[in-house]
Amino acid sequence: MYQLAKVDKKFPGVHALKAVDFQIGRGEIVGLVGENGAGKSTLMKVLYGAYQPDGGQITLDGRSVRFANPRAAMEQGIGMVFQEQSLIANLTVMENIFLGYEQQFVRFGVINWKAMAAAASAQLAKVKLTIDPATVTSALSFAQRQLVELAKVLTLEERVPGNLVILLDEPTSVLAEDEVNLLFKLVRELTSRASFIFVSHRMDEVMELSDRIYVMKDGAVVDVVTRGEKSVEQIQHKMVGRNVDKEYYREHRQQPFDASKEVVKLESVSLPGRINDISLTLHRGEVLCLVGTEGSGREAILRTIYGMRTPLAGKVTIKGQQITQFTPRNAVAQGVGYVPRERKVEGIVAGMNVYENMTLSQMGRHSSAGVLRIAGERALARDWISKLSIKASSELADCGNLSGGNQQKVVLAKWRSGGSDIMLLDHPTRGLDIGAKEDVYDMIRDMSEAGVGIVLVADTLEEAIGLSHSIIVIKDGAIQKRFDCTPGAKPSLFDLLHYMI
Amino acid sequence: MTGRFTREDAIRWAPLMVLIALVILFTAINPNFFALRNFARIAVAAAPALMVAVGVTFIILMGSIDLSMEGALSFTAVLFCYAFVKFGGTLAAGGWVAIPLILLVGAAVGMLNGLIHVKLRIPSFMASLAMGFVATGATVLLTGGGIVKIDDDVFRGLLTHRLLGFPLMVYVAGFCLLVAAFIQTRTTLGRNFYAVGGGEELAHASGLNVKRVRVAGFTLAGVFYAVAAILQVAKLGQAESVTGANFMFISITSVVVGGVALWGGVGGVWNALVGVLIVNVINNGMVVIGLPDYVQDGMLGLLVIIAVVLSTDRRAVTVVK
Amino acid sequence: MSTFIKDFIERETVSRRNFLLASAAGMGSMALPMAFGKGAAFAAENPALAWSYRDRASAYWNAVVSGGENFVESLGKTKADMTSLINEGSSEKSLADIKAFLAKNSGNCAIACDANDSPNARPVVEAVKAAGGYISTIWNKTDDLHPWDIGDNYVSHMTWSDEKPAEDTARLLFAAMGGKGGVVHLGGIPANNPAVERLNGLHNALKDFPEIELLDAQPADWDTTKAAELMASFITRYGDKITGVHCANDNIAYGVLEALKAEGIEGMPIVAYDGNPEAVQMVMDGKLLCTVFTNPYWGGGVSLALAYHAAIGTFKPSEEPNEHREFYGPTVMVTKDDAAAFKAKYMDSIPVYDWNDFWGPSNGGIVYK
Repeated sequence: MYQLAKVDKKFPGVHALKAVDFQIGRGEIVGLVGENGAGKSTLMKVLYGAYQPDGGQITLDGRSVRFANPRAAMEQGIGMVFQEQSLIANLTVMENIFLGYEQQFVRFGVINWKAMAAAASAQLAKVKLTIDPATVTSALSFAQRQLVELAKVLTLEERVPGNLVILLDEPTSVLAEDEVNLLFKLVRELTSRASFIFVSHRMDEVMELSDRIYVMKDGAVVDVVTRGEKSVEQIQHKMVGRNVDKEYYREHRQQPFDASKEVVKLESVSLPGRINDISLTLHRGEVLCLVGTEGSGREAILRTIYGMRTPLAGKVTIKGQQITQFTPRNAVAQGVGYVPRERKVEGIVAGMNVYENMTLSQMGRHSSAGVLRIAGERALARDWISKLSIKASSELADCGNLSGGNQQKVVLAKWRSGGSDIMLLDHPTRGLDIGAKEDVYDMIRDMSEAGVGIVLVADTLEEAIGLSHSIIVIKDGAIQKRFDCTPGAKPSLFDLLHYMI
Repeated sequence: MTGRFTREDAIRWAPLMVLIALVILFTAINPNFFALRNFARIAVAAAPALMVAVGVTFIILMGSIDLSMEGALSFTAVLFCYAFVKFGGTLAAGGWVAIPLILLVGAAVGMLNGLIHVKLRIPSFMASLAMGFVATGATVLLTGGGIVKIDDDVFRGLLTHRLLGFPLMVYVAGFCLLVAAFIQTRTTLGRNFYAVGGGEELAHASGLNVKRVRVAGFTLAGVFYAVAAILQVAKLGQAESVTGANFMFISITSVVVGGVALWGGVGGVWNALVGVLIVNVINNGMVVIGLPDYVQDGMLGLLVIIAVVLSTDRRAVTVVK
Repeated sequence: MSTFIKDFIERETVSRRNFLLASAAGMGSMALPMAFGKGAAFAAENPALAWSYRDRASAYWNAVVSGGENFVESLGKTKADMTSLINEGSSEKSLADIKAFLAKNSGNCAIACDANDSPNARPVVEAVKAAGGYISTIWNKTDDLHPWDIGDNYVSHMTWSDEKPAEDTARLLFAAMGGKGGVVHLGGIPANNPAVERLNGLHNALKDFPEIELLDAQPADWDTTKAAELMASFITRYGDKITGVHCANDNIAYGVLEALKAEGIEGMPIVAYDGNPEAVQMVMDGKLLCTVFTNPYWGGGVSLALAYHAAIGTFKPSEEPNEHREFYGPTVMVTKDDAAAFKAKYMDSIPVYDWNDFWGPSNGGIVYK
């Protein structure tokens, strides 16, 4: 019933959508997969009215439509559940649900809160959420907020005649497994009311939930798969355009490190909070993985090595020199590089271009008496753009407009090009798709071979096991256990979990 | 797979388009407007304001705000006059010493401003506003409400001597603008302003000394305020405790109208130039076409609103794919 | 903004003064019955003196307050015996300070005051009357408020009419222009009373000069910078048609002169207003035709003198004619002929005034239109 035919979208220098055909029927769940930069986000934005296509036709129940903005699309029954949640944290649940549509509850200029609460409860019932609609949103768990977001979109049901199409953008990325199951159960039940378009990086989830899957690559739909028709590997092959390596984590490239050369040494370090008596050693070429639950203290240790936190007690030695002044400035001068989890906050400056981002931490190297040698900077950036195959129109492209994976490559290039030989990676693959992840894994192996010491906080346990030479398990701010991860003798998931929880 | 909105480009060039449209509009109503002599008049009026706007642009690029310009300008202008007279009263007799001296004073005022903001962790608008009060107060103490004059034909040559139809002070302002543009695009300091404005956390996490960048920014702004003070004295031949009056409104309006985003990281000194020209063309043009004065005030208010609308719009289209 | 430090210092001094005054008053009340016991029944002896005004940062108010201080010194007291009640442009603060001053001195006060805005004058004088003090006001008062309606406690009101003097400057200007040509007026802040009056004066003079055309009149907000920019725009619009400039005050004239200097125009007839020292010098140098001096120093002194002498019973206000209760302050036009003499008399040294000659230099009773 909702159909896109030969839809085209161009941005300067980029052909984002190439004659894309897409359709979704009543009550259907359609998956949308593709690497970062394949055009998923653009297609989504066309679907919910944020972008207007340059060519092609959009029809709804046979009528040709053109949405000027997302609100126009909503009025036709097309709603979006955002990945970055759009709820306002300091408003109540019901205020959020009816944000912009309060008029129906207004009598003589006053909002009838009882009526609004009742209506909100009815909406929440659709998503099987039994919470007080007057709860302030910030008090909810992340999963509950996701459901409130869904309930908010489902209010379209009352406002719009005809069927609903609801877009779910990465709804599971931060949910626990049972929460994911709950969400899927709910979505399947709601197919009586609406059709769903589901975008996720987790291939298994897409396979499990979707009736049909659109596979995108380089701005075009390369395949449409019906449920059970193809295996995960086959789809991934289509997405990436090459075989997903059985040796996903590049274990065959894991070389023994040089245990005689210590680059970072922590001795009985304690930090404000609950982090106590941390001792560890990082060697040249070693990938050391810190494993633990959220809040166990992994990030705090990274940030201490990077000089963003000052220990209460203990000794930190970098390349034989004991650190007395804990500032990032000193750490950078010692050759430490830091790839933060929040790319948008601490990774790249949106609005600055690629070469400016790359040389940000090493401007001294590219200037004399404060005057920059821009030609040199640009040459360096071009070099790394090709080395890491960063998809950017040029070194002058605005980093804010790059896809997540390419942004991450810029961040890595920033440190590597500056000659950092101690790298601290905090969730370096978070939010990236398979292809981009594999690029990051390759880069980690490259760095390891080049003798860079790496401290890694991985996105998943498998990733941690696959990538590391050594694993340190942390629980409640204390080291529980150290594992050696020589290929062939790696610890199992169970081994790690045992010490984590 | 990424790209820019053509609309973003349109908005980036919007201020210049507005400027050109205004010039065409005023010329159509009164052809007297389009004359070299009148452009020289606008340039003279704009030169000090441009220096203030350039100074505050660096601060706004960092995502901070500086409201000390009125006090700083009055203070440096009055001090400049005193120093000029003290060192001989004419440029030739040694009055020139006042110029580097006053640039240093400007730097010192700015640096103090920055240090108060950074070291005492006071929001920049509050720290600079207070600093402006202090500077104005100091000026009142210095002058006792009086006027200090400079009567040196050589120095006043900045206003009276013309080259290709424009007074010399216009060229001085132009040169300083080029210096500012060089600092903005070709130096680590300029890059740092953008980095701090674009993401302070990130600049910190990249090992930049953010505090030092901030202090440097305020110091640099102080130097430009001092340049503005010297040009203002060249223009009026005198200084008093109200010499800096109105510069806060004009400079910040100009910077925003020119397309520098108040949240930092976007725009630059060329935007400041276009903004200052827009404000001054409007001020001049409204009189030249004979608008009643009450309409003029309304126009200026309208201008501010349009500026805010434009800058908000700009934020909305910086959509990251 | 402009007066932060100054205000701060002033306020500190005032509060210290208030403290001293309060303690002095405490002792005084013990001393009074013994020393002055007999005369105290009719009129106050040694009333506390105060001037209530905006702030001292401008040359104008500095002169007003200096005049007040000179009067106090003429009584054999020190400057510190006059309290400065600084209202910082707030009518509320003006009234509150005066009430506090009255309370502290049990109403035994002689106060001179600019009430900050017209409506504030009535509550101020009523508060003074209720406490039994004496007050003279300048500048701000509503037209329906008259000292004779309030009684002896509201001694007098002085203001300046700028219309006639501004008309005189315009006539001088037109004569210098040879009775024909184009004139532009650069005014004060719109709707500000002196600004309106000074423009009205120009209009009045124009009636007698049919060959003079008023090309344009726009506000320059009393500001030198704004005046320079406005004058430059006028030159673009009217070019050679401008043969004379009528300025609403001296600061505006400075800006006009600089704008003309930038264009290389010399010898344009210009008139100004306010009689600032710089402007007087320019009149002497022939750069300005004239300026008008309003003698704020005398105004500040005589206002306090009137309140003081009414308080101690030197004269009884209700026995004085109305033109002694409401009158215009002096206006002296300074031209090239008398500028040197004027400068010698008023600028180079401060003239010694007889503060008992209350009405000599004044300019007649206030006329309401």
